[in-house]
Order: sequence, then C-alpha cells, then structure tokens
Amino acid sequence: MEELKKKLKVQIIEALNLQDTKPEDIDDNAPLFGEGLGLDSIDSLELMVLLERHYQIKVEDPREGRKILQSVQSMAEFIQSKQPA
Amino acid sequence: MKGKCYIQGAAAITPQHTFEGDLLSSPLVSGAGNMLSIVEPDYKAFIPANSLRRMTRLLKMGLTTALKAIQDSQLSTPGAIVTGTGKGSLQDTERFIKDIRQYEEKALNPTPFIQSTYNAVNGMIAVQQQVTTYNNTFVHRGFSFESALQDSLLLLAEGVSHTLTGAFDEISAEHFYIKSRIGHWKTATVNNAELYHHLSPGTISGEGASFFVLAAAPTVNSYACIAGLKMLYKPSPATLTAALSAFLAEQQLTVDDIDLVLSGRNGDSNFEHYYTHMDASWPSVPQLPFKHLCGEYETAGAFALWLGAHIIRAQQVPQQWYPFQHSFPGRINRILLYNHFFGDQHVFILLEHAVIPGA
Repeated sequence: MEELKKKLKVQIIEALNLQDTKPEDIDDNAPLFGEGLGLDSIDSLELMVLLERHYQIKVEDPREGRKILQSVQSMAEFIQSKQPA
Repeated sequence: MKGKCYIQGAAAITPQHTFEGDLLSSPLVSGAGNMLSIVEPDYKAFIPANSLRRMTRLLKMGLTTALKAIQDSQLSTPGAIVTGTGKGSLQDTERFIKDIRQYEEKALNPTPFIQSTYNAVNGMIAVQQQVTTYNNTFVHRGFSFESALQDSLLLLAEGVSHTLTGAFDEISAEHFYIKSRIGHWKTATVNNAELYHHLSPGTISGEGASFFVLAAAPTVNSYACIAGLKMLYKPSPATLTAALSAFLAEQQLTVDDIDLVLSGRNGDSNFEHYYTHMDASWPSVPQLPFKHLCGEYETAGAFALWLGAHIIRAQQVPQQWYPFQHSFPGRINRILLYNHFFGDQHVFILLEHAVIPGA
C-alpha cells in the first residue's frame, strides 16, 4: 500500500503538471480538492483518465468518483480493491 | 467615424523583445535558423500558478499578451473580444491526436481537447476579465486577424465602447516539418537578419501574439488610427494595383500621401512577384519589410500593425532592427501595410497619426 501511494503521488504530479509540488508534500489523507492541493473539476477528469491509463480502472458513476478522489489514501484503497488478490 | 478606429493599447509577444523594454533600443534577435520562436516573458506575473500549470505555450502567450494590452490601454474591461488565429494551439492538437493513437481512442485526457479548440484563448481571457459580452475567433488562414479587425470595426460602428482585438499563432517542430513538405520553407538555413538577400523558394517560419484595445474615438493615449482595411483573395497583379488606387481614393489620398510602406516581403521567390509588382505603385515611398522580425505565419499582419502603430507614435523607426537599411523616413504620419499569405490572402491596412478633434 505504501509503495502504491508513493507511485500514485508521482503520477498525480505528472498528470496535473503540479510543478512546485513534490511527492512528500502531499499528505496521504489531505483532501485533493478545495483545500489541500486545490484541484478543480477538470483535474478530477484528469485523475479519472489516470486511473484508466495506469490501472485499467474505469469509474462509470460520478458519485463513486467523488468518494474515490477524496485523497491519495482513498484512491490507493480503491485501486487495491480492484486489483486481483 | 465609421470604418475607422483608434489603437488605445497594444502588446505583442514575438521572436523579438517586444513585450518589455524600449522598442527603439531592443537589439535585433537573429540567427536562430528557419523557425523563429517567441521570446517568452515571465507568465507568472500575469497568470496565477494554478492556472498556468495546465496551459500550453499558445494559451500562455495569447492570454498574457491580451492582459498586457488591456493594462496598456488603461481602459475598463472591453465590450467585445475578437481574435484571429490560423492554427490555434498546435501543441494541444498534436498531443490530443497522439493520445488518440497511443490509447486507441480510449482514456483520453480532456485538457488538450478543450485547449485545442480555436476559441480557447478567448475563453480564458473572458473568464479572467469577467467579460460576458461578444466573443468571437476567426480562423481564415491569412485573413484570420484581418477578419477580426473588420468585425471589430463593425462593432465599434454599432456603438461598442472598445474592443480587445488580437491574433495568435505558434509553430511546432512537427508542423514546421509538414509545411516543409509542401515547400513553405527555405531548404538552406538562413539568418533572419539576411532574409531578403536570399531570394529563393520558401521563407522562414514564425509565430507570435499581438493584441490591441481599439476604440471609436481618439484620446491623448492613442497610438494611431486604423483608417482603412482591404482584403483581396487571390487577386491578379492588375487587380491589386486597381484595388490600391480605389482603397486610397476612398480616403481621398494618393500614394504621395503615404510616408512609409510596411511590406510583408519574405524572400520567397515563389510569391515575390506580387511585391515587385506593387513596388511600381509606390516608387518614391520609403519601404520597410517586417518578416525578418517575426517570420511567416497566418497572423503576421497583426505584428505589422503593432510595429506600425509604435512607429507612428514614436515618429521613429527602430533602426537597430534594420541593419540592411541605410535611410529612414523622418516624418511618419501615414503608413500603408501590404501583406499577403503565400499569394492567396492579400491585405492593405492604412494607419494614420491619431488626431484629436479640437486639440
């Protein structure tokens, strides 16, 4: 799980071009939208694309997406839940 | 007055140092090869970092130039945003197309698609400036900027207080390569400072963004008056000559009233005959080219307008940009711009010193 979160942070920074942010600046549980990283609705679409491209997970329900994209922690938990045991 | 307008603010990001500093002392940037690239300013001074991270080159240069022109005019938010672009954001278009191929039309990132649309720059200006009125982008190859200018003149005649009018285009390595296949560029590398000494097929490519705040009435801050605009599609040389006479006659002028011709001459032997033919129409008028400064692109005419407006306001030519020129006109109250884009779209623009009635 720790490895996955580290990787996810690097992928988020790259996908959203967060130039002045380093992986260690992102708190696992900090909200990605509003406060925290201050991301917006287009970023949420970019993160959905990230899940599809890197983890082959397609989020169909936008309400589900809201919960998944809350934080790095929630994203990592979701990815892990979708991976074969 | 109908058909005329006044330049109240102007800004340009080009391959020269046009965005900041003194035009009359900025050195000529040359020797960069056949693909001239803009001198990029510090965008952070104009665009918040959180917005900047998502923008590609053209969006940054378009938005920043627009904001600087508004700032320069000292006027409130414009009543209309009207622009022209030949290609829109190439970087986004290329990324979007590459993604379609790489990801087999699945999992496509929305940002390059949104930003590849031609009106993306206008949208960003509108959001930034909270302008909810008229907003239009013209995409008509070599008439893109001039169509925006024409539309702005009509809007001003209808009573819009002032418009933000501009143009933006970029070049990418891939687009340069594609256009090289159809002979747009010279095959030998040419120093832009010596462009006119190399008359051969093709020219050098360029890019840039130029924006203006245009108003119907002059003020003490006016750069110049745009007194006339004429567009001609694929004219014969004879049609061009006749159109010039008619264009000047509309203003009760002849070529003897012109102090300077700014010509779009670009060293391309395929289309030089138009310029050679027109030289006969203004044999005794001083003439300066401008393509060695900005390169060739669809909206290079907007840069020529920016240059002409500055020359009229300063009553001086930036001589350091013309190392091949030995004499310069003294009094410059009226400039005629003549430009064409690969022989298809031809444009005349008449620029005059702005006169304030009763002043």
